Formats: sequence, structure tokens, C-alpha cells
Amino acid sequence: MDVNGQTQPAQGEVELGAPPTPAWHVAAASACGASHARAGMPCQDAQQVKARADGTMVIAVADGAGSASLADVGAALAVNAAVAYLDGQAGTQAWADAAPDQGMCTEALKAACAAVEAAAACRQVAARELASTLILVVAMPRAAAAIQVGDGAVVIAAEQGQLIALTTPQSGEYINETTFLISPGAIETAQFRVYEGALTRLAVFTDGLQMLALRMPEAQPHAPFFLPLFRFAAAAHDRQAADAELAQFLASERVRARTDDDVTLVLAALADQADATA
Amino acid sequence: MTALENVEFAENPEPRCPCVLLLDVSGSMNGERIAALNQGLQTFKNDLVTNSLAARRVEVAIVTFDSKVEVVQDFVTADQFNPPTLGTGGLTHMGAAIHAGLDLLQQRKSQYRTNGVAYYRPWVFLITDGEPQGESEEIVRQAAQRIRDEEQNKRVAFFAVGVENANMSRLQEIAIRAPVKLNGLNFAELFVWLSASMQRVSQSKIGDQVALPPPGWSTV
Repeated sequence: MDVNGQTQPAQGEVELGAPPTPAWHVAAASACGASHARAGMPCQDAQQVKARADGTMVIAVADGAGSASLADVGAALAVNAAVAYLDGQAGTQAWADAAPDQGMCTEALKAACAAVEAAAACRQVAARELASTLILVVAMPRAAAAIQVGDGAVVIAAEQGQLIALTTPQSGEYINETTFLISPGAIETAQFRVYEGALTRLAVFTDGLQMLALRMPEAQPHAPFFLPLFRFAAAAHDRQAADAELAQFLASERVRARTDDDVTLVLAALADQADATA
Repeated sequence: MTALENVEFAENPEPRCPCVLLLDVSGSMNGERIAALNQGLQTFKNDLVTNSLAARRVEVAIVTFDSKVEVVQDFVTADQFNPPTLGTGGLTHMGAAIHAGLDLLQQRKSQYRTNGVAYYRPWVFLITDGEPQGESEEIVRQAAQRIRDEEQNKRVAFFAVGVENANMSRLQEIAIRAPVKLNGLNFAELFVWLSASMQRVSQSKIGDQVALPPPGWSTV
């Protein structure tokens, strides 16, 4: 239980007796796509969420390349390394209300890329066999920063509830062409965005959900998609149960009928705003 | 699951995966060859529609060539595709057919862009039992050059398949990718493979390298 008498999120680090800090309610899940299952491939998405005691949250989401033999390994390594790096930085930096800058976010991508390249060297395979996209978000109650290589997107709800696509899918002429972390020039050309202002809700997702969550080609967040999900996240007090329910939704027939790619969705909602819009 | 039952999805057009078949219907394709090819087209359709997403995403167009070039099927999604029954006769205007197929693709892509439809890299699949015949060498040379340019710029992936008696070395000069020789009249397996390949292309996220199922229909 935290100081507000709520069940502590599984990833939280709030200590008893600490002053009240804004706590994020989180739900995160991945589901394996039918096309992957048919081809005997594992789910190649990975995600990690680190909610810090200071009210900062670090999120990483990666989508492994379908054509890469160790994409699931690469995606997992990339999210681990990036979250570890940003979490370490958070301990030494007074981010307060300002989001980390582009330099620091770029370093996080480099840390992830280095981890992937080291694993490839260790396994004596080409780095492209561990190719994945990577989305990193550092969110605070009054600011957020996101950096992204490849497709997928980050959507936030600002204080008044307006939905904003903080990042949008990066792809080439063809919908299945994207940039991967290990692609030449990927880190230098990564999409970096900062939002300054109060934010209450946040969603990060891989390209499997793009066509359901965004109105294309403008990549406008589709409110009837996000609003129920954000309400669900805000009301989620038990992280494990919320993750399981979200996973069930992502694997449901309704979602499967619209996409057969792997899908990953991370939702976060600020606890103290929960009742206002629930 | 009550809260999540209310989630509604954005209505976007399905991304499309265009595939142009350039089919030789010259006199030499007469008889069991054209019968097997017609049967193959049926197999193609039947196999694509077993996958509900592929049925809505894969778009097929057919250009036939003999002494004339004809678009017998403009782009249509697999679920709407009614395979034609092709007849034969005449010479082999392959170069002109390549131009017509690539023109058709260019138009389709610009329609996609105008309507905000996302798309995959198009495929062109040429099937012949001969070599260019009855048209000027210049047209064939330009067609080959165009394939080269389009492949280099990743605008298409162009595959050539030779049925028995096809001039494979001539096909090699025209297409960049090594032409594949069909084993006997195994069109059924060829089209099952093409369908499986289109399903993969239309559903996974891949860079340039499509991990295709190995063709079981070619001669070794």
C-alpha cells in the first residue's frame, strides 16, 4: 500500500512514509501476431516500464524485424539497455519539471545499439539479425520527452484531455519498410520530441496497432480508441491484473481481425487525475 | 473486460499489396499449357482468400501478351478477383507487356497516394514459354532498362518464370533477378508459392529482404 492507501504498482518504488509523489498507473502487454504464429515465429516485440519513486517514468518499446532471426532477442536487449541507461541518468540528474534533452535520449539509443551489437558479436551473427525499432519515453507530470527509431508512436493526453501524437510512425514509401536501431544513420535521424505542460495519460505502441489507433495518413490519434484505454489505465490499481486484462484485449478476436502483426501497448495514467476523467 | 469492450478502432483503408501478372498467351502456350495456367490462376485466388487479411490487402492485375497487349484484369483485391479463362494465339510482345504492366503499377501507386492508402512494394510476375517475338528490339531493350531502374530504386520486385522451351538466357538479360524455370506444368504449386509470398509480404514488417518460402515448383 502506498501513502494514498492504494495498492502499489508492481514496478513502483514508493516507500512508506515518503511524501506523496504523483504515481503512474501502468498497464502493458504484448500479443503475438497470427502471421508470426503461423510462421512459427515468437512474438518479436518487447517493452519495459520503470516507474521511479520521484514520479518519473521511463518506457521503452521495441518491435523486432520480421526478417531477422533473433529479432525477439534484439528487441529485449534494446529495451533493457535503454531503460537501464535512462534510469541511471535519472538518479544523477535533476530533471524536475524539464524533460531530458536530445543529447541524453540519443545516448540512450546508443546504449541500446551497443548492447545489441555486443550481443551480435558474441553470437557471431550480423547485427541485422537482431534488428528492431525502438521508442523511448521519459514522462513526468509536467513534461515528457520521446525519441524514436522506426515506426510505432507515442500518444499523450494533455491536461484538458486533448490527444496529441508526440511521435508518429517513421516509414519509407512502403508500409513495411522502416528504420531499425542498427540501420546506418538511424540514431542520428531519430525522431525527438518534447512536450512541456501537464500530461495525464500516455500510450506507446508498436506498428501492429497503428491502423487501429491512428487516423492515417495524418497519424491523428483516434479518440474512441484511446479514451476507453486511458480510463482503464487510470482505474488500474493492480499492475498484474491490468497487464493480464490488456493482454487478453490485444489477443482478442476484435483486434486479431484487424491486424495479424505482433502488437504491444503500454498505457500510463497519473493516479491523482484518475477520478477527474474516469 | 468491460472497460476495454468500449475501445473502437480507427477506420483506415487496408494497406495494399499490388501484384501484376504478365502472362504469355502466344500461340505456343496453346493446349495443356494454357489450361494449366488458367487452373493456376484459380489456385492463386483460392489460396489468397483463405487468409482474410491477404484477401483484403493483395491486389491482382493481369496483363496478357501475344501479338497485342491487353489488361484483362485491372487491380482488384483478392476477394473480388474472378480469374479469367485465357485463350492463346499470335506472337510474343513481351517488351510491350512489361511497359504496360509497369505503367499500370505507376497509376495504381498514384491512386494509393491520392487516397491516403498505405502500400507495400509491388511485385511483377512474368510467365512465358518463349522470348520476345514480333516487336522491335528497341522496345525490349527499353523494357529491360526500365526493370533495371525500377529494381534499383526499389519501385518493384520483378520476377520471371520460364515454362519449358523458354529462352532462359534471354529472360536473364531482361530481368535482373535470376529467372526461374517452372518444373513441367506445375503452375498450381507456383501460384500457391506466390500466394504464400504475397501473404508474407502483406503482413510482416520487413526491410528489403523478404524471407520467402523456398519455391518447390522450380527445377534445380
